[in-house]
Amino acid sequence: MLNHFTYFKPQTESELLEKVKSYGDDTKILAGGTDLLIYMKQGITAPKVLIDVKGISEYSKIVTASDGSISIGASVTCNEVIENECINKHFPVLVEAAKTLGSYQLRNRATVIGNICNASPAADMAGPLLVLGALVIIGNDSGGREILLKDFFIGFKKNILKVDEFVKAIKVPAYFRDAKSGYLKSSRIKGHDLGICNVAMCRVNGTLKVAVGSCAVTPVLLPDFESDRAGTKFVIEAAMNNINPISDIRSSKEYRKHMVKVFIKRLLEKGNSH
Amino acid sequence: MLEFLHDDLAILSVKEGCGEGECGACTVMLDNKPVNSCLILAVEADGTSIRTVEGEVKDGKLSPLQESFKKNHATQCGFCTPGMIMSAQSLLERNPKPNEEEIKEAIEGNFCRCTGYRQIIDAIFEVTKNAK
Amino acid sequence: MSKEYKYIGKGVPRIDADLKVTGQATYVGDMSFPGMLHAKMLISPHAHAKIKKIDTSKAKALDGVAAALTGEDLDYQVGLYMVDKTILAREKVRYHGEPVAAVAAETLEIAEKAVKLIEVEYEELKPLLDVEEAFNEKANLIHPNLGSYSHVQTAFFPKPGTNICHHSKIRRGDIDKGFQEADVIVEREYNNPSVQHVPMETHGAIVQWGIGDRVTIWTSAQSPFTVRNLFCHTFKLSHHQVRVIVPYVGGGFGGKAGIHLEPLVGCLSRATGGRPVKLIATRKEEYNTLPCRCGLKYKIKTGLMKDGKIVAQKLTLLWSAGAYADYAVNVTRASGYSAGGPYFYPNISTDSYTVYTNMVFGTAYRGFGHVELFWGLERHMDYCARELGIDPYEFRMKNLLKPGDITPTGEKLKDDSGDIRKCLNAAAKEIGWDGVKSEQQRIKEMQSGKVRGKGFAVLHKAPAMPTNTSSSCVIKMNENGSVILNISATDYGNGTYTPMAQIIAEEMDIPLDKIHVAYETDTDRDPYDWQTVASRFAPMGGRAVINACNDLKRKMSEVAAKVFECSPDDFIFQDEKIIHKSDPQKFIYYDKLATGYVYPNGNAIGGPLIGVGVYMAEGLTHLDKETGQGLPAFNWTYGAHAIEVEVDVETGEFTILKIASALDVGKVLNYESLKGQVIGGIIQGLGTAICERYVYDNKGRLLNNSFTDNKIPTAKDIPLEIVPIFIETPHDEGAYGARGAAEHPMISVAPAIGNALRDALGIELTEMPIRAEDVWKALKEKELVFEPATV
Ligand code: FES
Ligand code: FES
Repeated sequence: MLNHFTYFKPQTESELLEKVKSYGDDTKILAGGTDLLIYMKQGITAPKVLIDVKGISEYSKIVTASDGSISIGASVTCNEVIENECINKHFPVLVEAAKTLGSYQLRNRATVIGNICNASPAADMAGPLLVLGALVIIGNDSGGREILLKDFFIGFKKNILKVDEFVKAIKVPAYFRDAKSGYLKSSRIKGHDLGICNVAMCRVNGTLKVAVGSCAVTPVLLPDFESDRAGTKFVIEAAMNNINPISDIRSSKEYRKHMVKVFIKRLLEKGNSH
Repeated sequence: MLEFLHDDLAILSVKEGCGEGECGACTVMLDNKPVNSCLILAVEADGTSIRTVEGEVKDGKLSPLQESFKKNHATQCGFCTPGMIMSAQSLLERNPKPNEEEIKEAIEGNFCRCTGYRQIIDAIFEVTKNAK
Repeated sequence: MSKEYKYIGKGVPRIDADLKVTGQATYVGDMSFPGMLHAKMLISPHAHAKIKKIDTSKAKALDGVAAALTGEDLDYQVGLYMVDKTILAREKVRYHGEPVAAVAAETLEIAEKAVKLIEVEYEELKPLLDVEEAFNEKANLIHPNLGSYSHVQTAFFPKPGTNICHHSKIRRGDIDKGFQEADVIVEREYNNPSVQHVPMETHGAIVQWGIGDRVTIWTSAQSPFTVRNLFCHTFKLSHHQVRVIVPYVGGGFGGKAGIHLEPLVGCLSRATGGRPVKLIATRKEEYNTLPCRCGLKYKIKTGLMKDGKIVAQKLTLLWSAGAYADYAVNVTRASGYSAGGPYFYPNISTDSYTVYTNMVFGTAYRGFGHVELFWGLERHMDYCARELGIDPYEFRMKNLLKPGDITPTGEKLKDDSGDIRKCLNAAAKEIGWDGVKSEQQRIKEMQSGKVRGKGFAVLHKAPAMPTNTSSSCVIKMNENGSVILNISATDYGNGTYTPMAQIIAEEMDIPLDKIHVAYETDTDRDPYDWQTVASRFAPMGGRAVINACNDLKRKMSEVAAKVFECSPDDFIFQDEKIIHKSDPQKFIYYDKLATGYVYPNGNAIGGPLIGVGVYMAEGLTHLDKETGQGLPAFNWTYGAHAIEVEVDVETGEFTILKIASALDVGKVLNYESLKGQVIGGIIQGLGTAICERYVYDNKGRLLNNSFTDNKIPTAKDIPLEIVPIFIETPHDEGAYGARGAAEHPMISVAPAIGNALRDALGIELTEMPIRAEDVWKALKEKELVFEPATV
């Protein structure tokens, strides 16, 4: 059963700002709700105020800017990403990853931003967005700020947001448009499941970017590689130096490491054959 | 929303199998899209249209999909069936000729412990044969 | 040759399909009554602890709380075979998840709030989490009072002063001599964790304990009469005071046999002065508080001759019952007497123990011990064959049972016992078995990264039931010649009602749409039935229905004989008419007899037509305590699965390309429904084989009590091809020759996969489930694994 709370559904960003400011600490932003409601049911969190951002129309959009960058609004669902033509064409790794997140009906509610804000090490959307150099567009009382996604995650299920801040959108720069990319995830069953680990990769203008999920307290972006020097062995070594998986109910740390190696090899092979 | 539909409105087809978005027993269509009603607040559905399996019966007749479920023994205990039918119906509405993979993809979020899914997939297939 | 039937064997739709596809079937969770209260349990956070103090005063003070109970309030012992449990924990808790207190309140929300206000002080005790450790004579006692528990003395043999609550033995031949004769001895250990049944509908009950101890129970259960019986025993009530109603049930798989939440909800209702109280388990409680399937650790030692003949078999099974014995003792007994599998052994010795541990307690689960047992047994048979260098198919064919053979309990198999060889042959043929994979072939395939393998496993099971197991039913004919069948089997998804209607249609020649099987089993209305478990209903209940039809026909014949002034033996029954055999002009429509025959002059004879049928399996005996000799069961159902698997050698991930399952069902009553049972069983078997398991931490806390980390297979996980094959060797006693086949498809799926993986990769897995990670680890041990960092 859920605790009692007050529900607001602002229609504009300024209204949202005002609510966030006045309720502060006990507030949670509600977008898809697919994680938040579970936490509330389990009593992990008991917010007094829920602010639903689905009423703000610009938050529900995927916008392609004239320079070719895209921005995904705070209430855009995973299925909307999967069905978006521009993303399919130019940023297909986001589609690949979104398809592995939950079931079809869950993806009709689960949002990309929610997946990111939750800051779970297993977040499916994190890896691809990390390798695509994504920027988090944060709203706050002082005109907002933008930070790189890699700086957004600060600990296990912890993000950098302050009490009175929220994420408006996430932006993928034009620089990464049409970059060769891929995402691989290992899970216990073939149906929807939380991952044992995942690897996202992208090559752009002589640089290779690799991110690893479920292998540390946050999703991990490896330092950039110079693409032509990045042999399998080299990338794997770098990955092993940057991750620190644990053994848990889903997998042993040895298997996690092994699967990261296999995925790196496979993604590199796939990239090289393009 | 699940509690609201089931307990307050007595729309009893909407079942709780987990309450955590994993099993799909609570699947309904919200503005024609299947969703897990257990992870939605009733207030969030304000102003939307909700479809449940009760509404699939028209003029006292089963829908083609319901008929096919019946014919193919795609229901056993029946607890997963309402949610399963809503997921499958939604698939057929967005893709009248899905292949086997697409069917599995569409219903993977609906657990069924009884049937082993095969006869459910067959039932959905059979409807697609008559689709244009 | 087999007779042509009009209804039997046909895949007619389930008679409950309309209600189910429209969401109109009503389950306990959908029911509510005026004045109904909602209950919530407080469960133990510890696996083993003394309860030092419980204080419910704050909960009771909360507005809207009608009752709050603790173990101290409820001095009752409950139990199925071994009366070892209390309704709420008293003095100590024995597993993480055990209910220690419960509240009934105006709303569920208040009840939830109230249980949080209950204060409990525990003193933690060391939990016993390993069955071998608990088995040890010196282990701490989980039930120090074991010696004083009442129990079914003809079947169960506890050892007071230990954690062993039952020990089953089989002794046949001379085991020592057998091993002395053997050319080769093969011995290995196997292991299974506990798993959950995972019915999509969790357990739930509504109870109203009214004035004068009139109790009505609505419950999601498989066995209304067992619930009534045990409820009466616990509270010392007479059976006529308690009424159990079972509406639609959303799956059971054994987990809803016996009695579970009903006594607690009953006490809450009584404490509120008779208001109806409802308790529906959450999924977490379903995993953590309601019972699961027992764990099993076992050792198999086999003596073999070089030519492939088995000469000695010794099995030691340690069943981890968890905190209470529930069905575990009977699982131990049943898996004990069938532990040899469908093989012939001149010398066999089996010891099967039920051991208390501080984990969620086990109960019946589809297969009743055989899923667990056959994992090791059929992995072991493959291992034996390979040790001897014999094709595992040939090895099995050499040793499988055939009519005339004596089973380990001394039963002589007859021609109608079923044909295990046919099953194995059909399944192996379907996957194109052509001998074990050679090492060269394996090495060749390894290069490509994907290796295929084939494997199979046989199975058998008999219903585990008391010697006086029986069924009964009543068929009532309505004014228009339609009929209603009252029967107390529950159709919790298994589809037993539809074949019953088909039997009436066949016997009486009435169209199916004029036959109604009354749903909502009601012990006040319906005649007695033991339980709907153990795959016994179709063959046994079916016989009761045939007998009821015969009774009905006899009564109709008597009236018709008076009308036509002939003998009652002169009639046939066709097209809803009773017709004179030699003079077809003489006939009467059923509806004209239904409420009594009326002559043209108004005189009436006969009366409302009611057919009564009973059936009891006769000739079963208790098993001897020391040797296990006797006749334990009604019949055996044999079967075999064969599987082709493809493994990704880099990751250990595997895909089941095909599974062929052959079962000797005696006679197919409803093809589509049986197919559904078989496929459903296979996939449940697949779940137990590849992903399902209980995981505890070292304090005995269950770590995966949700779908997030305790997954069942989804539509994406099923094998690419599933081929059910039905062999029909009629069983003399079963209705139309039918045997039970509801549990069997689940048995032996896991070892067939294990054997296919052995064929593919040469790896020997002995523990269930088989996860990709386990395959990878096994490959790594064989140094067959690809290490990307070294390339
Ligand atoms: S009840 Fe909603 S997904 Fe299980
Ligand atoms: S029919 Fe029982 S869960 Fe699907």
